[in-house]
Amino acid sequence: MPSVTLLGQALISGVLAGGMYGLLAMGLSLSWGLLRLVNLSHFALAFLSAYAVYELGTTWHVAPWWSAALVVPAMFCIGAAQHWLFDKFRVNELASLLVTFSFAVILEAGIQLYWTADFRRYETAYATRSIKAGPFFIPVLELMLCLVAGALAWGTWVWLTKTYVGKALRASAEDAEIAAAYGVNHRKLAYLLSGIGAGYAGIAGTFIALIATLAPSEIWTWLGVVFAVVIIGRLGNPLGALLAGLLIGASQSVAMAIFSPAWAPVVSFSMLIVVLLWDPEWI
Amino acid sequence: MLLEARNLHVDYGDASAVWDVSLDVGAGEIVSVIGPNGAGKTTLVNAIAGLLRCRRGRLRLDGCDMIGIRAHEYCSHGIALVPEGRRLFAKMSVEENLELGCYLAAARAVRAQSLERVYELFPVLREKRRQPAAELSGGQQQMVAIGRALMARPRIVLFDEPSLGLAPAIVDAMFDIIGRIRSEGAAVLLVEQNVPKALGIADRAYVLEQGRVVTQGLPAELLRQPHIREAYLGV
Amino acid sequence: MNVGRDLPKLVAPLAIGAFALLPGAGLPAFYDSFLYLVFFWVSLATSWALLSGFAGYFSLGHAAFFGVGLYTTAVMAAKFDVPFLLTLPAAMIIPALLAIGIGAIVFRLRRLRGELFALLTLAVTFVIATIILNTPIDGGGGIFMSAVPLPSLMPTPTGTLYVLGLAICVATLATAWKVGHSRLGMGLFAIHDDEDVAEAKGVPTFRFKLAAFALSAAIAGIVGGVHAMFVGFITVSGTFDLTVPLYVVLMSVLGGSRSWFGPAIGAVVITSLLYSFSGGSEAIMGRAIVGVVLIIAILWLPDGVVPELRKRLKRWSSTTAPASVEVAPVVVPARPIGDRHVLEARGVTKRFGGLLALAGVDLDVKEGEIVGLVGPNGSGKTTLINVISGHYPLSSGTIAVDGLQLGTLPAYQIARRGVARTYQIPRPFTNMSALENVVAAASFGGPPRGSREIHDEALHWLAFTGLAGKEDVLPAGLNLHERKFLELARALAAKPKLLLLDEVLSGLNPAEVANAIRLVRAIRAQGATIVFVEHLMRAVVELSDRVAVLNEGRLFALGAPREVMRDPRVVSIYLGKAYAA
Repeated sequence: MPSVTLLGQALISGVLAGGMYGLLAMGLSLSWGLLRLVNLSHFALAFLSAYAVYELGTTWHVAPWWSAALVVPAMFCIGAAQHWLFDKFRVNELASLLVTFSFAVILEAGIQLYWTADFRRYETAYATRSIKAGPFFIPVLELMLCLVAGALAWGTWVWLTKTYVGKALRASAEDAEIAAAYGVNHRKLAYLLSGIGAGYAGIAGTFIALIATLAPSEIWTWLGVVFAVVIIGRLGNPLGALLAGLLIGASQSVAMAIFSPAWAPVVSFSMLIVVLLWDPEWI
Repeated sequence: MLLEARNLHVDYGDASAVWDVSLDVGAGEIVSVIGPNGAGKTTLVNAIAGLLRCRRGRLRLDGCDMIGIRAHEYCSHGIALVPEGRRLFAKMSVEENLELGCYLAAARAVRAQSLERVYELFPVLREKRRQPAAELSGGQQQMVAIGRALMARPRIVLFDEPSLGLAPAIVDAMFDIIGRIRSEGAAVLLVEQNVPKALGIADRAYVLEQGRVVTQGLPAELLRQPHIREAYLGV
Repeated sequence: MNVGRDLPKLVAPLAIGAFALLPGAGLPAFYDSFLYLVFFWVSLATSWALLSGFAGYFSLGHAAFFGVGLYTTAVMAAKFDVPFLLTLPAAMIIPALLAIGIGAIVFRLRRLRGELFALLTLAVTFVIATIILNTPIDGGGGIFMSAVPLPSLMPTPTGTLYVLGLAICVATLATAWKVGHSRLGMGLFAIHDDEDVAEAKGVPTFRFKLAAFALSAAIAGIVGGVHAMFVGFITVSGTFDLTVPLYVVLMSVLGGSRSWFGPAIGAVVITSLLYSFSGGSEAIMGRAIVGVVLIIAILWLPDGVVPELRKRLKRWSSTTAPASVEVAPVVVPARPIGDRHVLEARGVTKRFGGLLALAGVDLDVKEGEIVGLVGPNGSGKTTLINVISGHYPLSSGTIAVDGLQLGTLPAYQIARRGVARTYQIPRPFTNMSALENVVAAASFGGPPRGSREIHDEALHWLAFTGLAGKEDVLPAGLNLHERKFLELARALAAKPKLLLLDEVLSGLNPAEVANAIRLVRAIRAQGATIVFVEHLMRAVVELSDRVAVLNEGRLFALGAPREVMRDPRVVSIYLGKAYAA
């Protein structure tokens, strides 16, 4: 049994890693829950953003925060454009999964062609900084990521529950026909939501550029665990996605500290299986 | 006439079809459409509410042509639907359901008054306003569905089987509300299987059978005709 | 005429022979291994389609079964020195048992269809991979197969693997063909289109899904077993990654996953594409091109290449007159109403949560009788039909059909005991032609008969319901009236002892109603026992021997139609007390 300090540190880094799961899960959760579209290319868009931030930072010396200000609106447009395709061809849930998988593969190829398959690292001054709190170290970037994820989750939740547009989106997800009878133009709102989902991929990408080592094949590393997070957090619920992300991040990290790092995947997927079998109505 | 339907023909998927139906609703009038199940009543109201497309015919609201405008634009012309089976947004709270009714800008501007009026009509909804609609009883759900329609400040409310699945005492209460809605100025088109109730409240009525209007007139006259008896009892 | 059935019989032996002789032709080993990969993907994609394509249970967990098979062979051969070929049966059996275990839990939960089933199977893959990685099965270091002797079936090792791959591929395609043309396949196709209806028509859905899952997993397992030798060095990350589940899905969807040879076409196309771009940085371009092809295919050919070609082919050959078959009439002489009770319902009660939909209904129906079931909306008529046909379990009470207690029998057993039903809104199997719809209902619902006999009977019932000439039309090509009659043809083809009709007439125009009434009379003239729910009261009065009025879940009145419908109590529930007086 590892020491309490070690476990505490594992818990902290797990929660912080969970922030990334939650951030990536949010965009997926929105489009799946409210538009019934499963967007596998979300991960590829996040990495495309990460590479863009990396490129702007290393070649043009643009600060990552300014890069984000460029990348996020661009992602919004890409998301809306993707939705145009789904809308035009009336793509259903399953087909959306396959089409967006293909998008992801094409994006992966594009990234590899331009940036090669080499691992790349965006070195910044803040990458290694951390705050010392008692016996624990808290890396600054990861902490910021969690704060941003928290703010976004809360903001999105407020948007969905307190504004008319948000309520209209939730209503359309339940019964689009009746929502339309009360004046909701669901198709227009769907473009907005798709854009926002992709915008979140842009924000996640900015942090990926700063925190992670980039390689085209890394696109797929988070796929499984983030899907588990999306479902455990309940579809269409941004706060749920974040909390599930933190929960899974923490439990993975603790499991890794107690047993061995290789056992980590069992945690999230066992949770997913339990949730699905326990209450199939969950999502 | 507020609502004028002429030779409507609706034929959509597996819904019971409607052939060549013409009907009118005047301002401040309650008009009932009765007829057995499968006669096409729901198809008819759904078409008037914009949920289904009309194949042929004319539909005018206050002189404005409604054929060809998109489904989400019907509401802005003053039509509000209380659909069969309520069709509430089950996961959303009671108040959110009501607020969806005033989604359009004009109705949104008077949200507070409308909400107050709905809670006055149905005090129980004020208590339950934070609960998900799915947790309410059938009668309370029907209240939410009616409230949602009133929030849109409609000129005409379409009721589709408001008595379905409700206990008799609650049915009486629902029909009282329909009367009050009219007395506050809106017209009502009521589609109903419950003949005594529907005819009791109506100014005029139409009898629909197999997608056609077989007869129409004042409720008292209709009851004297053999059509209703034949339609409902087959003898 | 029937391309799908006859062409393979001619081409297959030739192709198999040619492929089997190929390693002797002295081609470079490159070709052996390329063709091996083609066989590999054809087998995997086809096996995936057995469950996911045929029955529509979309799995993303194919790598789990493939991987378990692969590790079974690797561990037995490399660690316990079992001869390679002897490991292969185990590589089939263990994944099949795993699939049965998973299926036994998952297939009982109604909600776990569609994308949830896909995600659950994906999650299972990751869990299995982690367990293998962290236990002595793998131990984290991977397994070297280099010390395992390969039996020399062919002069070269690649030749041997080639031949094994070919054998598995041929066996897989033969299995898929066989299943696709068998009762099991028919049941799986029905499950794909509408599982509830399939069950109600007599398909043992749970057993069939388990069988398809086990078969699919067994093939994936043996493919994995052989692949262990091909790979040579086995790691968890190389085995259980997303490549297998995603590529088999892409290949099957591209080719057409409901067709037995669609996945094979998709596999050949995609494998060739990937292989032709295999050099270093070109590999990624190959994947991108596969991506583009897939997007185009899904958006423009959502059913896949093979079904699309078939559709075109059918359009070209549609000028040929349909083969008319001389149908032996199956008319049973009309019988008077007997004394025997075909249906005996006692105290039938059904609760939905707090709602009492049926509050103790007693109803007897005699042999050869037509009973009309009427009542206001929400009075429990359709619920009664759903309870008798086993769609809903009873809350309390008993139902006996022909003297046999139905108890808690599953719906398919009730169907086989002679209860057939129609749906108010027709629910045909959408991807089957009208004829196939009726054949499926006849094969699963009626007494066991030969397929020729079933086919002729199906044609008879289609003609009987006025659908002659529409045998090859898909339900989407029929109008509402015809779809309703197709419902009737399906119900009749099961030769039911008790026929339950749910609003056959609703939504029909007057001419169609008259037609339908004639049809019900003709059915009755053959001696059928019918309970029908109907709102068109003229028809009820005209057709019924007795009318049962339900109100608020209770039997309110029962008797001769004209008397019952004039009973002031009945009049008052429809038209109010004032009117009745």
